Amino acid sequence: MSRFFERYEADPCRFYDEVISKEGIPRAHYDKLLQRFSQFSNDDIKARREIVNIFFRNQGITFTVYGENEGVERLFPFDLIPRIVPAQEWQIIEKGLTQRITALNEFLKDIYHTQKILKDKIIPAELILGSQHFRREFVGIKPPLGVYIHITGSDIIRDKEGNFLVLEDNLRTPSGVSYMLQNRQAMKRAFPVLFDKYKIRPIDNYPQELLRTLQEISPSTRNAPNVVVLTPGIYNSAYFEHSFLARQMGVELTEGKDLVVNDNKVYTRTTRGLERVDVIYRRVDDAFLDPLVFRPDSKLGVAGIVNAYRKGNVALANAIGTGVADDKVIYSFVPAIIKYYLGEDPILQNVPTWLASNPTDLKYILENLGTLVVKAANESGGYGMLIGPESTIEQQESFAEMIVANPRNYIAQPTISLSRHPSFFNDTELWGCHIDLRPYVLNGKTVTIVPGGLTRVALKRGSLVVNSSQGGGSKDTWVVDE
Amino acid sequence: MLSRVAESLFWMSRYFERAENTARFLDVNFNLLLDLNRITHVENPSYWVALILVTSDKERFNSLYTEYTAHTVTDYLVFNKKNPNSITSCIGLARENARSIIESISSEMWEQVNKLYHYLQSVNPQFVHNNPYGFYKEIKNASHLFQGITDNTFSHNEGWDFIQIAKYLERTDNIARLIDVKYHMLLTEAQNQPEIVEGSEDLIQWMAVLKSCSALEAFRKVYLSKIDPDNILRFLILDRTFPRSINFSVCAAEDALWRISGSSRHRYVNNADRLIGKLEAELSYTAIEDVFAIGLHNYLADLEQRLVKVGEQVHLTYFAYHTPEIESPDIAEGLPFTGIAGGRPNWSQAHQHQQQQQQ
Repeated sequence: MSRFFERYEADPCRFYDEVISKEGIPRAHYDKLLQRFSQFSNDDIKARREIVNIFFRNQGITFTVYGENEGVERLFPFDLIPRIVPAQEWQIIEKGLTQRITALNEFLKDIYHTQKILKDKIIPAELILGSQHFRREFVGIKPPLGVYIHITGSDIIRDKEGNFLVLEDNLRTPSGVSYMLQNRQAMKRAFPVLFDKYKIRPIDNYPQELLRTLQEISPSTRNAPNVVVLTPGIYNSAYFEHSFLARQMGVELTEGKDLVVNDNKVYTRTTRGLERVDVIYRRVDDAFLDPLVFRPDSKLGVAGIVNAYRKGNVALANAIGTGVADDKVIYSFVPAIIKYYLGEDPILQNVPTWLASNPTDLKYILENLGTLVVKAANESGGYGMLIGPESTIEQQESFAEMIVANPRNYIAQPTISLSRHPSFFNDTELWGCHIDLRPYVLNGKTVTIVPGGLTRVALKRGSLVVNSSQGGGSKDTWVVDE
Repeated sequence: MLSRVAESLFWMSRYFERAENTARFLDVNFNLLLDLNRITHVENPSYWVALILVTSDKERFNSLYTEYTAHTVTDYLVFNKKNPNSITSCIGLARENARSIIESISSEMWEQVNKLYHYLQSVNPQFVHNNPYGFYKEIKNASHLFQGITDNTFSHNEGWDFIQIAKYLERTDNIARLIDVKYHMLLTEAQNQPEIVEGSEDLIQWMAVLKSCSALEAFRKVYLSKIDPDNILRFLILDRTFPRSINFSVCAAEDALWRISGSSRHRYVNNADRLIGKLEAELSYTAIEDVFAIGLHNYLADLEQRLVKVGEQVHLTYFAYHTPEIESPDIAEGLPFTGIAGGRPNWSQAHQHQQQQQQ
């Protein structure tokens, strides 16, 4: 074993370690990686770190830390050890996500039309109709192809036994796919020899697949539908991704002020006048999309765009109102949703979830705050969370109050020990850091998942939070054929 | 092409060119003072004040510094972020514009803007003081590299034309100001030490002006060794083939504008084309004696004003385009606007940071 891995301490009794098995030996698909790393000295690693940093910096893959007088630009933390997913494991993820997205899309179609699932009492109607993401204005509106969720980034974790579990379905505007693509580019530059030793499935076709999906939902019959990306603007933390995807697809990147609606049709303002738009890949939340319908103070949206959408003159990806299905409360019903619409057992399991809105669950939650993870139903990015084992009595008490005051807004889950993956600390030693996986699912005429995803890693030692807003980083993710 | 994209291409290019020209002003001033060290010294304020006067920026400078020295003027023109036209500010703004259209430019262009930006973040005044030649050379080369990369990696279509318009409008303005430096120098010199400006010093100053336009060698090929002020001005203002002459730059801007609109000689389709065409026609039929008749300084000041007007019309014709009857007040607020800062046109980003970050 290599120098770095010799000193690596896995803890396979407490966590599933992606590299080292319970018996303390490396898993077969990591053999070649370990072998290669055994040839590296600290200086070799430093040199590769430099290559990667220069790549990210020159590509402008930085995020801005605000405060004081001016923004400071930092690189996103990137770990040099790739995560390897063997083909047979990937197959489970691929099948499981396809099933899940298909069912969730059926669910949204139902919710915004006949609401059969509510009438059959599979889900309590008040949970849907009372959700802040349910857009009653869109009941009865049929989006092109009947597709609501075109782009999904589900978060997948592994429990102690190594089973894949879905932690969250991100059905609104999931981000991170540009990091998946750029991480791969960086690794190719820094580790060409290692790269060559594996049969790694390529992911570079993601932008083409995305464009194809967007073109498929065009309401116009024109040969080349005009697709644009809508971004909040350059100060948005995901701006790099918006522009990256627009460039990779070869379409215009627009801001709200670039678009105008005239006679319920959407146009871009160009140097030659107005130009018709057919499909908008919008990275602006529902609430900011149209000041005439949602938040009137929005400066990021386009006045009249919702009416144009209702009239079927423009397609939006994702559709408006998909947030109702990625609510953390609805999440707990996804296995039932899969069973109800597809008649199948879920391939990917959920993390067990207790709903504070259910009186027996509520009692259990309040009695076990010290061991559970409590989450606000509508928050994301690791905010509004109580991690029981790491919390103080005061924090638990204040959460208890909030839960009792608004039970619909809270859920609780057991503290899952996310799987761990050796990751560099200071580029000199390896630590077991918790990771998750966000594959990107495209849904148009068919469901497509590029083999890979963004592996997020909690680089703060012992931390379970992988979100980049909370000190997380990422790894390249290799789906390999034997 | 999206109006916003066209506008950002325009300002990216314009700020890059401005940064290069500022480096040229400074570089040449250092050289000049070294050449003249027999009669003066590097800290001679009258040589430094000229650089501030020429950028129409005396007031802002005086609010930040108390004296004109190599140190303060260099700091102001290179580093000071309170000066919207300092090299650091210009490259920052060029990069900001590039960043907002990163998907429209080639990644090589972005890398080059970004590289220069990071280079500027890494240098300090002491570095420039120790090696002014190396520093200004670096800026000029970075700008040339950017132009070369642009020419070779970016499609020569409408977007490229906006880059050309911006580059040549800015360059014309800067050449006019450079020539004017000489006027300001003469003026301050005459006030302070009237006996100094004569014969060979005068000539050395004029040669410095030529050098700052990288024009000395090209000039010599045309006029051989007859370096006299009339010929130098004739060359810098009226030559049609040298890329850092006023006439050449105006022609190049005109060509780019006409390519976009389809205008041709005697037929213009918008006011930007009309104003640039008028300027170009006049230059074509101007003799250097006509310039002297008006007075060099007045002639240049008038030229600068007319360039501002062309810029305004480009803005109105291509960037501020909208259909008034469907425009909501929100959209109007969101439009970037142009304004004049430090006597020069400047771009200003609409401020929507807060909501963009919330998302």
